[in-house]
Amino acid sequence: MAETNLTNCDVEPIHIPGKIQAHGFLVAVNSNNFAIKYVSDNIEEHLGVEPKEILGKNISFFNKVLQDKAEVVDLENLLTLGARQAGFDIINPYKIKINEQPFYLIIHKSNGSFVLEFEPATLEYDIQNVIGKAVSEILINKSLDKLLTKAAQEVKNMIEYDRIMIYKFHEDGHGEVVSEVKNDELEPFFGLHYPASDIPKQARELYKLNLTRIIADVNVESVAISADSTVDHLDLTQSTLRAVSPIHIQYLKNMGVASSFSISLISQGELWGLIACHNYSPKFIDFKAREGCKLIGNILSSALEYRQVEEDTDLQNHYTARLNELSENLERDKVIVNALTAYPTTLLDIVNAKGVALVFEDKIYTKGETPNNEELKELFDWLKLTMTETIYHTKQLSTLYKPGIAFKNIGSGILACMLSKDMGELIVWFKPEQLQTVNWAGNPDKQIEMLPNGEAKISPRNSFATWAQIVANTSLSWSNTEISGVLKIREKINNAINKTANEIRLLNERLKLAYEELDTFSYTISHDLRTPLTSIKSYTELFLLKNNTVDEQGKNLLSRVLSGADKMQFLIDEILKLARVGRAEFELSKINMQELIDEAVNTSVAAYKAFDTEIIVSECPQVSGDQTLIGQVFSNIIGNAVKYSSKAEKPTVKINAVLRGEEVIYSISDNGIGIDVNHHDKVFELFKRMENVKDFEGTGVGLAIVKRIIERHNGRIWFESELEKGTTFYIALKK
Amino acid sequence: MITPDIFCVEDDPDYAFILEHAVKEVKNELTLGVVVDGMSAIEQLNNFVVTKQRPKLILLDLNLPGLSGLDVLKKIKETPFLKYVPVILFSTSDNPKDVKASYEFGANAFVTKPSGYTNLVDCVKSLHDFWFNQNKNIN
Repeated sequence: MAETNLTNCDVEPIHIPGKIQAHGFLVAVNSNNFAIKYVSDNIEEHLGVEPKEILGKNISFFNKVLQDKAEVVDLENLLTLGARQAGFDIINPYKIKINEQPFYLIIHKSNGSFVLEFEPATLEYDIQNVIGKAVSEILINKSLDKLLTKAAQEVKNMIEYDRIMIYKFHEDGHGEVVSEVKNDELEPFFGLHYPASDIPKQARELYKLNLTRIIADVNVESVAISADSTVDHLDLTQSTLRAVSPIHIQYLKNMGVASSFSISLISQGELWGLIACHNYSPKFIDFKAREGCKLIGNILSSALEYRQVEEDTDLQNHYTARLNELSENLERDKVIVNALTAYPTTLLDIVNAKGVALVFEDKIYTKGETPNNEELKELFDWLKLTMTETIYHTKQLSTLYKPGIAFKNIGSGILACMLSKDMGELIVWFKPEQLQTVNWAGNPDKQIEMLPNGEAKISPRNSFATWAQIVANTSLSWSNTEISGVLKIREKINNAINKTANEIRLLNERLKLAYEELDTFSYTISHDLRTPLTSIKSYTELFLLKNNTVDEQGKNLLSRVLSGADKMQFLIDEILKLARVGRAEFELSKINMQELIDEAVNTSVAAYKAFDTEIIVSECPQVSGDQTLIGQVFSNIIGNAVKYSSKAEKPTVKINAVLRGEEVIYSISDNGIGIDVNHHDKVFELFKRMENVKDFEGTGVGLAIVKRIIERHNGRIWFESELEKGTTFYIALKK
Repeated sequence: MITPDIFCVEDDPDYAFILEHAVKEVKNELTLGVVVDGMSAIEQLNNFVVTKQRPKLILLDLNLPGLSGLDVLKKIKETPFLKYVPVILFSTSDNPKDVKASYEFGANAFVTKPSGYTNLVDCVKSLHDFWFNQNKNIN
């Protein structure tokens, strides 16, 4: 819906109309010297003097004029009293008879003036006597709806307007009739919505200052105010007689209303709504009746406030309880995702949402109704780009994020909470579309007509016939309670993440220590094992040599002891080599790979006598590492490639390298025997040799050492292989 | 101890025993004197100085209880009377760091202990050939 505000209406200075309603008359005096500054033109009808006769005169002159038509009154004394008491609350209303008719004099101060307003006292409604009962009737009701309906009913009983509506202002300023009591023959307005421009902003401000407002008869011309000087208009903000804006008069006329009366309802300092009373014939209720209604308004306001606070508190308590349960989960379960999703209380329960999605450690977890994973990923990417604050929420996602239209029935509204922008970790709650039919009192867009000269013609809409609008792609709003709850849980989650991170760091430290200890242990143990092993071997050999009496069988057995000892010696030596990698001094430098690879190739060819093998070496970009250790890696891998391809028809080994960002990835391919896919994960294990390498020499330690060295360089090693086709090893190192 | 041809510091009695046999196997007249730790080694070295009798070859184990083989080596090389006696570091370790340190302290050779009797005989034979027969002028 396009926004239509009657701009002219919004700036109309309705508090200084320069006119009053015709049912009373007004005199205003300078508050210092009591000189008469303003007087309404209808003073002649009531007191038989023309405005110009009294303008500029002292109040005492007016007092005399008044006394001619009324009983004895001392206005000067009243004003002095009011001035001393800083207000006229105890004086108002001052009862006075003018031409035998009862009038109320109501005085208030407006800037530098005291304003004296005279209006009829009808004494028609004796509210004081019934108000106590009415209030207790109203307050019996526990629910907000009943409270409002009863209030409307009681107001109707007291002042007998044709229609009493309770009109509530929504967040965006538009109004809705939430309760209505009316004469049977009238068409109901209950449930109708009125655009915000119907009661413009400055009018709403006046409703906050004047808690009641009467418009006695829309069909009577208002009366001008004459002034002794034209400099200032009299500010009629507090006036009870203040004339009504012509736009509003037209508005009421279009509705068929002849007279209206309203009582403001204030909650938490803001205009919550109005008790709006319409009459279809002119109607006036006097000051005391209005004051009684004001009291009802006050009481209803505080009841509203109390009920609202109570309902908010109930809701808040509910969410606080869920929040605490979720926090306990976080303390109990170290696995954060479990804590948030696997217990009876989940992320979904801490706000009023139908679904929630969580991205954590690059995985998506969902609860309830959420868009599918593809849609979620796209939404998350958009949020990561768009979100500047920790929290983002909307009730109309699709207006900002077009793809959101695809899942509007699940998530027209989202509340997103960033856990970590660096990690791209966030939580998003979804509120479904709330297809609302708003019944407008007339088409709210048809309010401004343009005149041929391009100026806007102010014409409040003529038709109040229901105009239905469906509000689509919109969810319920996210409340402050929900948002603050989400912020709280975010803090708890981040605490838990930090705690886990610390635990992992500690574990890592311990692991590192354990690794070092293991290296030292393997080194010492293999070293210490060598000595007794040497003894076993030496004594056996010595025995065989020196004892001629040993027979063949004895010799045979002893030679088994020797070969066992040799085998053990060999294994111990291999373990020593591996342990040494962990203990070796580590000197980082830029390594000339061309040289290193050439040497490895030459050694390998010589070692395996593989002079027929074609070895193709392409680019050899430099890498950072320890010269000796990296040399060991390449000797080993190239050696393997040469060794295992040596029985191929045309043995070929290819060495290549590519740059990938900060890394250099070397690949060493052969067309050898390959590695069985079933043993892929065993290749780098200590002493593991594959089934198909029995015909080749080897210990099963080489690749374990290689892996260890690469790990120490924070590099990566992996391979691709196919049996009988060949193997490619990849080594990624920092450049 | 009467000054032997080969003075050996070796804490493993088994290895000393085997070595004794190997030495006799190489040449029956060769004499071997063994001490089991660094302190006894220093004591014996002082003895050689007092009696003005040098051994022809010193075999030093690197890993010794108390004073290490390198300490003993240092002492030998600091003693003018002994400093030209060839010292062979005789160790199970083949750690490059140990080898480097030994040479820095003045070792004349670093030999990884052969495993097994036969290998040991071969080793002693080779040492004997080199240090006793071919380089006679040293002694």
